[in-house]
Amino acid sequence: MNLEISKEEAQIMHIDLNSAYATAEQQAHKSLRGKPIGVTNRISKHCCVIAASYEAKALGVKVGMRLDEVQQIIPDFIMLETDPPKYHHVYQSLCRIMKDYSPDVTMKSIDEGVIDFHGTKEFYKGRPLTDIGLEIKERVRKEIGSHMRINVGIGTNRFLAKEAAGWHKPDGLDLIDYRNIKKYYREHKLTDLTGIASHFEARLNAAGIFTPIEFLNASSDTLRRLVFRSVIGEDWYQRLRGYEVDNVITKLGNVGRQFVLDVRSADDNVILPRFQYLCETTGKKLRYNNVDARGVYVWAMFQTGDHWYVRKMHKQAFFTDRDIYAKALYLFNQRPKHLIITAMGITLYKLEPSTRSQQSIFDEVNKQEWLTTAIDEINERYGNFILFSANALEGKHKVKQKIPFGGTKYFELLLKRA
Amino acid sequence: MDPTHYMNERVDVVALYRKSGDITTLCFPYKMKYKNQEIIFTELCLRHPTSKGHRMIHVFDVSDGVNDYRLEFDAEGLTWTLVALLEGHYESRD
Repeated sequence: MNLEISKEEAQIMHIDLNSAYATAEQQAHKSLRGKPIGVTNRISKHCCVIAASYEAKALGVKVGMRLDEVQQIIPDFIMLETDPPKYHHVYQSLCRIMKDYSPDVTMKSIDEGVIDFHGTKEFYKGRPLTDIGLEIKERVRKEIGSHMRINVGIGTNRFLAKEAAGWHKPDGLDLIDYRNIKKYYREHKLTDLTGIASHFEARLNAAGIFTPIEFLNASSDTLRRLVFRSVIGEDWYQRLRGYEVDNVITKLGNVGRQFVLDVRSADDNVILPRFQYLCETTGKKLRYNNVDARGVYVWAMFQTGDHWYVRKMHKQAFFTDRDIYAKALYLFNQRPKHLIITAMGITLYKLEPSTRSQQSIFDEVNKQEWLTTAIDEINERYGNFILFSANALEGKHKVKQKIPFGGTKYFELLLKRA
Repeated sequence: MDPTHYMNERVDVVALYRKSGDITTLCFPYKMKYKNQEIIFTELCLRHPTSKGHRMIHVFDVSDGVNDYRLEFDAEGLTWTLVALLEGHYESRD
């Protein structure tokens, strides 16, 4: 394959909220504007920053740093706990604005989304996308909040649009197409490119590729056979030239929950309530997606640094909390019980479309399903986890719902919490 | 670390409702009586809806120019609650 750089008109716009959670907090709290702040899920000595304000980033704070590390750099660092409804409001407002410009809008995560302008040329009558980008920026300030800033990137494919959005942060607006693509690659390192972390960088280096320009000039064969050893190499060959390869919808493969224990322990009285709660929240996610599972995977991390896991596939698909917990507990009890657990999790896999509407010939099975449906309906009305197993009571108080990082598919579910 | 003070106290609020404008300015808590003190808000920083079960709650993050307040309006019970206060600092012009 020998492809030129795409000469197509750039019609993909990537929108990225600057330090989304931290900026939303600064928007809500005027007194925090201009100050180094961070956001975490649960404040504790070992908690880590999941979003930092630009002021904090300028002083060297990075996402993932522990609070005690940050406090060594900034003693009066302000850390707030996450507020999901607030971010959901910002997310929804951003979605609403984006959907005013094209019917083809994809939210990639809570703070970024893509507008595909293909097919809207007639409607905009030659109006440049940079102009629309400026208008969106203005609307975000007016309709969400005066402190909110977004980066806008425009490109011929999703990759270049995202790169353009990150070119001049914060509050940037850039367009990358065949005219300036090489300039962009010249100004950046390999690891600056989305999707290239240290592991892929090492592979590229081993093939004699050290810069994005060398990456661009590498042949399709080199990337496929020598560097990535799969079709991923061909994808990269096209992606770097501005051709679209990332417009794919991924299928839900598994659902799960994990928890870093608030109290490190080997005691069942401490662990099992939390474990049961994880199982019940996983069951909620399963039913929310209207799927049943056949596989269960449980794992634990121990204080010794060892990692343990076990998984089992079942013939019959299942979805009730009781089934999930019984199957998961059977596996979890096989762990080395003398070791102190620091983190644990459950994942349900081999998902298939739900058969819940179909009645079983066994009354006992029907009763279980009706009970689960009734509990879900009560929780739906009065807020999640109004009704739950008594055993999971302590778990409910200790295991907090987390802000979804990658996708936004569980946001609605998270907000139903009482 | 976290400068938020949690109050969770019912308060008297005078709110302003406009007949037109965008959603961020249609309803604005103008002032609040808290511990016999009248606090006049100067800025509505963010308003967002949330729910407690099926009850609709409107959260207003407002500022009096120095401190930030989180007020919640329960649209079912028609009550205002001062949920939290974030203390700011007076800055001298000198």
